[in-house]
Amino acid sequence: MAAVAVHQFAQCITCHAWSPDHSMVAFCPNNNEVHIYKLLEDKWEKVHVLQKHDQIVSGIDWSRRSNRIVTVSHDRNSWVSKLIRKKHDSSVTSVAWHPNNILLATTSTDGKCRVFSTFIKGVDTRESKTGSSSDSKFGEQIVQLDLSFSWAFGVKWSPSGNTLAYVGHNSMIYFVDDVGPSPLAQNVAFRNLPLRDVLFFSEKMVIGVGFDCTPMVFAADESGIWSFIRFLGERKASSSGPKYGSQFSEAFGKLYGQSKHGLSNDTVEPSRIRGAIHENCINCIVPLRKEGFRTKRFSTSGLDGKVVIWDLENYEDLSDYV
Amino acid sequence: MMAGAEKFVEADNAEAIITRIEHKSRKIESLLKQNKPVEALKTALEGSPPMTRDERCKSANWIVVHRALMAIKDVEGMFSSLDPEYYDILMKYLYRGLSTGDRPTCDQCLRIHEKLTERAGLGCILRSLADTVNTV
Repeated sequence: MAAVAVHQFAQCITCHAWSPDHSMVAFCPNNNEVHIYKLLEDKWEKVHVLQKHDQIVSGIDWSRRSNRIVTVSHDRNSWVSKLIRKKHDSSVTSVAWHPNNILLATTSTDGKCRVFSTFIKGVDTRESKTGSSSDSKFGEQIVQLDLSFSWAFGVKWSPSGNTLAYVGHNSMIYFVDDVGPSPLAQNVAFRNLPLRDVLFFSEKMVIGVGFDCTPMVFAADESGIWSFIRFLGERKASSSGPKYGSQFSEAFGKLYGQSKHGLSNDTVEPSRIRGAIHENCINCIVPLRKEGFRTKRFSTSGLDGKVVIWDLENYEDLSDYV
Repeated sequence: MMAGAEKFVEADNAEAIITRIEHKSRKIESLLKQNKPVEALKTALEGSPPMTRDERCKSANWIVVHRALMAIKDVEGMFSSLDPEYYDILMKYLYRGLSTGDRPTCDQCLRIHEKLTERAGLGCILRSLADTVNTV
């Protein structure tokens, strides 16, 4: 089985993030709070509740270098020990620290992906290599990407920070190199339901999660062109045919007014047919580390209230990309 | 600092767009006479939707696409020669067709919708619904 552990922390989880040493996990239980749980003597105990937002917290990132938590919310604010106020035209859906710990990327339901500087004079040190980003003030917008005509979600940086990826509610995933004045973007359309969050496993591999309830693997070939590779878990990548499970069969049957879509698949629940571990939309994916280093494991959380831990060790065909 | 796909801009005035659509229409009639319905559909879908907010232009383009859609007899055959680059724009026009409520149009659009969804997946439907800027 691909999943290593399953924890039921709440009825519904909007997003989650692990502390650098994985001894703590922060998540939003579908309200305006952030709950922090710590593993104490083999049991997970609630240790903190953060109440810095007025509306649902849609994204959390826990910085490895500085142990800072950043949270973003539908109240259009981002909170990093200091507020970055009202720089978005609509709900902020996701947030990610650049590896340099100064830049922050956000996505919003206004369709845009923005990159901000969080440089705090006296706290952060200027690195001469980072160039223009280190001259910026806290909260200053560096770049605005307008690739999606639809709500944007799930922004992440590649391990080097050279590539940025995010998704749209239009079943698209966007890969951007040279994030700056002249970015190079690849807009990848795929045939499945939209994604909600992504994770870079290496410079060349991204795993996306969303409404299909099963992680999707994207990879870049030698020339740097990204494409969909496969699903994880029991479900195989179907290249054709309306094999979407019972909940769609019946609906399409009614739409097309034919009996052939019938009830043959309807006797079993959709998630069982597809072998999906999550029973509802997965809206968050984060990496798991051991002593600060990346492992082949990651965790996902979703609207079913589950946190699922996965291990890529079981997938030999993906070992080239990891 | 903006980047990426073109922002919505009124490319030309309405008259220029209508003239182009009329030209497209003549080409489509000619292709249909030569019994080339898939070529006619490709021609109709090219340059669609017109880059404008003017509803007259959008309607004029729809009429031309509708003409080509209704001329398709072999839907399966059509997909074997229609490039995937046309899938997303075709899906948008199928929904416009379904919204007319006209029986023959809806029947034809449903027939094509079924095959297109098989080929292009639910993502294609999502893209046609989620794009509120480039509407047909």
